[in-house]
Amino acid sequence: MEKLKFPDNYFYSKEHEWLSDKKGIVTVGVSAFAIDQLGDIVHIDLPENNGQSYGAGDSFGTIESTKTVSDLYMPASGKIVAINKAVLESPESLQEDPYDKGWLVKISIDQSPDNLMSAKEYQDYLNQEG
Amino acid sequence: MNKEISQTVLYSRHKDLKAKMAPFGSWVMPIFYQSVIFEHNYVRSQVGIFDVSHMGEIFVQGKDASSFLQGLTINNIDKLKVGSSQYTALCNEKGGIIDDLIIYRIFDQTYLLCVNAANIAKDFSWLQSHQQGFLDLSLTNRSSDFGQIAIQGPLSLKLLNTVFSAEKIDFSQLSYGQIIEVELFGLKVFFARTGYTGEMGFEAYLPLSLVGSLWDLLLACPHPKALPIGLGARDTLRLEAGFILYGNDANDQTTPMEVGIGWACRLLEKDFIGKDAILEAKKRGLERKIEGFIMDEQAIPRANMTLWQDDKEIGLVTSGSYLPSLQKAGGLALVSCKANIEKPIFVDVRGQLKKACIVKKPLYVSKSKTS
Repeated sequence: MEKLKFPDNYFYSKEHEWLSDKKGIVTVGVSAFAIDQLGDIVHIDLPENNGQSYGAGDSFGTIESTKTVSDLYMPASGKIVAINKAVLESPESLQEDPYDKGWLVKISIDQSPDNLMSAKEYQDYLNQEG
Repeated sequence: MNKEISQTVLYSRHKDLKAKMAPFGSWVMPIFYQSVIFEHNYVRSQVGIFDVSHMGEIFVQGKDASSFLQGLTINNIDKLKVGSSQYTALCNEKGGIIDDLIIYRIFDQTYLLCVNAANIAKDFSWLQSHQQGFLDLSLTNRSSDFGQIAIQGPLSLKLLNTVFSAEKIDFSQLSYGQIIEVELFGLKVFFARTGYTGEMGFEAYLPLSLVGSLWDLLLACPHPKALPIGLGARDTLRLEAGFILYGNDANDQTTPMEVGIGWACRLLEKDFIGKDAILEAKKRGLERKIEGFIMDEQAIPRANMTLWQDDKEIGLVTSGSYLPSLQKAGGLALVSCKANIEKPIFVDVRGQLKKACIVKKPLYVSKSKTS
């Protein structure tokens, strides 16, 4: 198995979501680790329209593999400003590229999150969890 | 319930193969090695091998073995020839299914019962509690000293014939459902042409000490190349084939008729425990039945989601998944016989009603399976 990648400039939550930045309009997705754990992604549910606000830790959708359904959690509080409709049609693109093609939503951050990890911290966290 | 987690004898091999392991009843089993979909497709097109050593093996032997089994199982054991197998079920007095199983008649007076892993202790004590009056009968639960490897897929026959060419065993002599005893590394092994994938395939029943050797031998063959397959793909394969899974699609509250195995229930030919209740229920008319269904809208159905039609609840999903060969989601559901199966149904997927349709089982017909 090739080594999992975690872009250095992203921020990561314990629930395995990533955030492209901590302020402004940022992109949200799930980490390569989560994808690797889930296996084949066969279905994704995201909010239907822009404009909805979420608090940090709120569920904003689900991601399903052949065997399991997992909630997607907002890594920071903010309002949805864009939704990746392409990923709903081809959930497998998340597996191929969780950081670029496989982004999920863009949000306008209203409060800078303080509990996210750097790529290095996230990998240490994963190693601890075993 | 026994909370101890068991590992099969192949556990370290699964770890070496980087399998994703997960608890499966009281066992920790490989769910997938690479990907459920990839493995599913590989079994449909090539050949895969599965560690199914968690399954149970119970031996029933003696002059009274056949009359003993006749009274406890729904199918007609008198029709079972030496070297053949029969799909059947054990029922309680209410006609509820205790377990569904395959019985192999390996010798004249020796039957091998292959039972579901979660039901081994329950089945064995049910058998024991009914042995009174059968003088020449021995019951042996050999689940913990027998392993099981399933070899499934269109190239399964070629794989076995290649691997065992030196031993001059010709597996093509086995027709569907048959079982033979062969010698492997000086020990007796049973190979049956049975399976749970809807593809041509075989299942090997062997002493624990040989499981690793057979596994390695099968994986070492360069052509045809077999790959290890996890229980994730085993589930999607069986679901497409329309095979029920005990605990999901059948339990002790459902009768053989309700779960679609009425064809194995020989009400006119014999007496057995549960028969009166099943006849009674038949007279009243079937109220619900396991049906296959396919999603029309994008959503994955999961067990215990409710089914709706015309604002009425009409049933429950019992098994649901993405189905790789169909490239659609679907599954099995216990549906009220009052529902109109010609009309669309709706699955309540976390509060949203998603359109689906009832289809005839199997959901997918294999291109390779020959009888």
